[in-house]
Amino acid sequence: MDFDALYRSQCAGCHSRDGRLAAARPLNDPTYLAFVDPTALRRVISEGVPGTSMPAFSQKRGGLLTDAQIDVLVDRLTEATPGVRIALKLPPYSAPLGDATRGAMVYQTFCSKCHGAEGRGGPNGQSIVDPAYLSLVSDQALRTAVVAGRIDLGMPDWRGYVPGRVMSPQEVSDVVAWLASQRPRQPRPSTP
Amino acid sequence: MLRQLQQIAQWFDDRLHLTKLFASTAGHRVPKSSGSWFYVFGSGTMLCLMLQLVTGTCLAFVYVPSADEAYTTLEYLTYEQPLGWYLRALHYWGSNFMLGIMSLHMAQVFLFGAYKYPRELTWITGVLLLFVTLGLAFTGQVMRFDQDAYWGLGIGTAIMGRVPVIGAQLVNLMLAGPIIAGETLSRFFTLHVFILPGTILALIGVHLRLVLTKGINEYPKPGVPVRRETYVEEYETLVEKEGVAFVPGAISKDLYFSAFVMLAIATCAAVFGPKGPEGVPDPTYIQTAPQPDFLFLWVYSVAALLPPYTETVVLLVGPAVGVLALLALPFISNTGEKSARRRPVAVLTVLVAFLGLGLLTWAGLTSPWSPHMQAWTSDPTPVAFVKGRSPLELQGALVLQNKQCRNCHALDGVGGHRGPDLSTVATRLTRDQLVRQVIQGGGNMPAYGKNLSPAEVDALVAFMMTLHPANELPARDATLSVRRSP
Amino acid sequence: MSDTPSSPQKSGSDCCCKGSSRRGFFLTLGVGLNVVAGSLLAVPILGYVLSSLRRPPSAQWISLGPLGGFPSGTTQLATYRNPVHRPWDGKTADIPCWVRSIDGSKFQVFAINCAHLGCPVRWFEQSRLFLCPCHGGAYYEDGSRASGPPPRGLFEYEYKVEKGALWVKGGFIPTLARPLSAA
Repeated sequence: MDFDALYRSQCAGCHSRDGRLAAARPLNDPTYLAFVDPTALRRVISEGVPGTSMPAFSQKRGGLLTDAQIDVLVDRLTEATPGVRIALKLPPYSAPLGDATRGAMVYQTFCSKCHGAEGRGGPNGQSIVDPAYLSLVSDQALRTAVVAGRIDLGMPDWRGYVPGRVMSPQEVSDVVAWLASQRPRQPRPSTP
Repeated sequence: MLRQLQQIAQWFDDRLHLTKLFASTAGHRVPKSSGSWFYVFGSGTMLCLMLQLVTGTCLAFVYVPSADEAYTTLEYLTYEQPLGWYLRALHYWGSNFMLGIMSLHMAQVFLFGAYKYPRELTWITGVLLLFVTLGLAFTGQVMRFDQDAYWGLGIGTAIMGRVPVIGAQLVNLMLAGPIIAGETLSRFFTLHVFILPGTILALIGVHLRLVLTKGINEYPKPGVPVRRETYVEEYETLVEKEGVAFVPGAISKDLYFSAFVMLAIATCAAVFGPKGPEGVPDPTYIQTAPQPDFLFLWVYSVAALLPPYTETVVLLVGPAVGVLALLALPFISNTGEKSARRRPVAVLTVLVAFLGLGLLTWAGLTSPWSPHMQAWTSDPTPVAFVKGRSPLELQGALVLQNKQCRNCHALDGVGGHRGPDLSTVATRLTRDQLVRQVIQGGGNMPAYGKNLSPAEVDALVAFMMTLHPANELPARDATLSVRRSP
Repeated sequence: MSDTPSSPQKSGSDCCCKGSSRRGFFLTLGVGLNVVAGSLLAVPILGYVLSSLRRPPSAQWISLGPLGGFPSGTTQLATYRNPVHRPWDGKTADIPCWVRSIDGSKFQVFAINCAHLGCPVRWFEQSRLFLCPCHGGAYYEDGSRASGPPPRGLFEYEYKVEKGALWVKGGFIPTLARPLSAA
């Protein structure tokens, strides 16, 4: 089983080839790969993320990949993780939502310079509070975006929003809670 | 020594009458004008057949026509049997060359008016030979018992199943059972190696016999029409006056061409190798996109391009009309001008036929009507369509991938081509029109209304609204701006 | 002049006629015997060849396995061994079909063959469509025709739930001439 062949046929559609700019995160960003937890990655590939555009790839869930093929993908993507994770002092991959009120202040400190005071877009970043957008991304995806950034889109990671100031794990959890609180209340009709 | 050899030859000739046989067959007199480059295709076709008989017999030494084992023997032939791959390649390329040269032969005979009086039967046996050869090609494709063969039989079954009244019985007769399985392969094997080759040899016997009794067509001269009353006499005079023995007088170009054909088949087989086998014929393995062999691609295209309501009629009546037209041709235009210079309609027919077949084959090769089943996970959104997009629009790009839109719609030419390329869709449809098209479908697109959440529709349409060239504004609803302006 | 040569010719022709009538009789007899014997042989030979022209065996109930294998709300591929098969059929007698479990007790079971030209349709969970790889026929999740060249929806098996298992009625390749019973 060849990683490249699997990646090109199953992942490249959304995550692009060779780390080029893509609709979903390119899977060769070292910060992201250090951040992501291998167990969680395996679960996401196998089962997908319900309500988002990440489908399930496991044959048990109607996808095309066997468990062994998923292992090939996960192992290769996360092979360099442990060392880098420690060296970067990354916040934990998952954590409960923080406090939204504090998060609003964290947002003003770290994010408003690009995304605007209310999150509706600014000079270097566009709206991140669009209800439809927030309906289509999970809290974990928001957390991952805050910590790992989107280097391909020019968005820095958690160390680079304010020069010389790294976001603390608590600040990350708080700002994610604030973003999640902007999501429209009514439950979106789940796909059957 | 020489005398003794001559005596031995004499002894055999006394008993076998070889000299007489030669004089009445290979040595028969033909018009000198028939020793032309245009007259080499008949012998070329026959040469291909001889080659097919030899290579086919060789393949039958190893091949086992059992649904369970045919694929294993094909793999053995291709990868383990010494030179097995080359014999398979020769047989495959031989069949392509045979039908290719045969169609050239047919076009030449048609353009030179050779089917006219008194050679009607020669033409008719030729038409029958064409059908038997097509039958051999189709059954031969089944011999390569892989996924394409299995689903090719499925297509044949579906066409048979469209026959009114006796459709179910025909399906059963074709498959030799209720499903495509062991007895189906045995049936096609019997056709391919016994019945059709036997038929083709018998037909060639008649075809050549007619060439001897009615003579080969003279190179037609413009302005010299065939008249039933005088033609035979004119032909006899011509052969008497300026005829030559076919061997050795007129055969040399056939020989050059034959050698060329053999070399070409040998080269193609060596360079391109055999076709397949492509995948165990296991119907439960459905990650497959069946395609017929090159020779039948045009049929595949016809099936794709016809409007659905005409399909059954065209698939069933079309071939019948074609057969009847070909068989009736020598009676419809029995006499008159032979030269292509005086028969513009004939020239046009041949051009249209070849152009049509060529275009349909080309269409079959690209098959734009087939969705790309893997496009949604394997064809990345082009970088230019991602750059500078908002988070919502990026989510829309993901919806476009995840809902398999890419399987039918290309972006920047990459993806399926069944539906229109979406690279500039925003210049064609307004926001409201996009929403309606996505939700209600139509124009050969399924309706996605039930399968998309409102947020997904919002994101998808927001992304598609960005799909316009930088220097061209997106389409807008003119009535809205009118209402707003006062 | 006309008499003299005529008499030997006449006697000759008489002699010939007598001979030929006898010979003719034997010839007719010989041909007749061969026709009779040949027909006797042709009956079993034609019967053997045309035996597959008769209508195929009727559909049978086939188990697709325990209900637990088809959780509510899923559409998945199931395979069965065709009830009519030969020992040398190999994998070709394993027939796939799509099982849609509506709520764990109501089902729809579709033939794998596209109603257009019989190619194997594939289920796409995300867009909830069956797509055909050959000419792009598309069907909704309930098997009805969505778009493309198919003249009708997917062929649908009749099913029943018995002894905790899902059963379908089939055993032959569905075509427009002989669609499966439920459709």
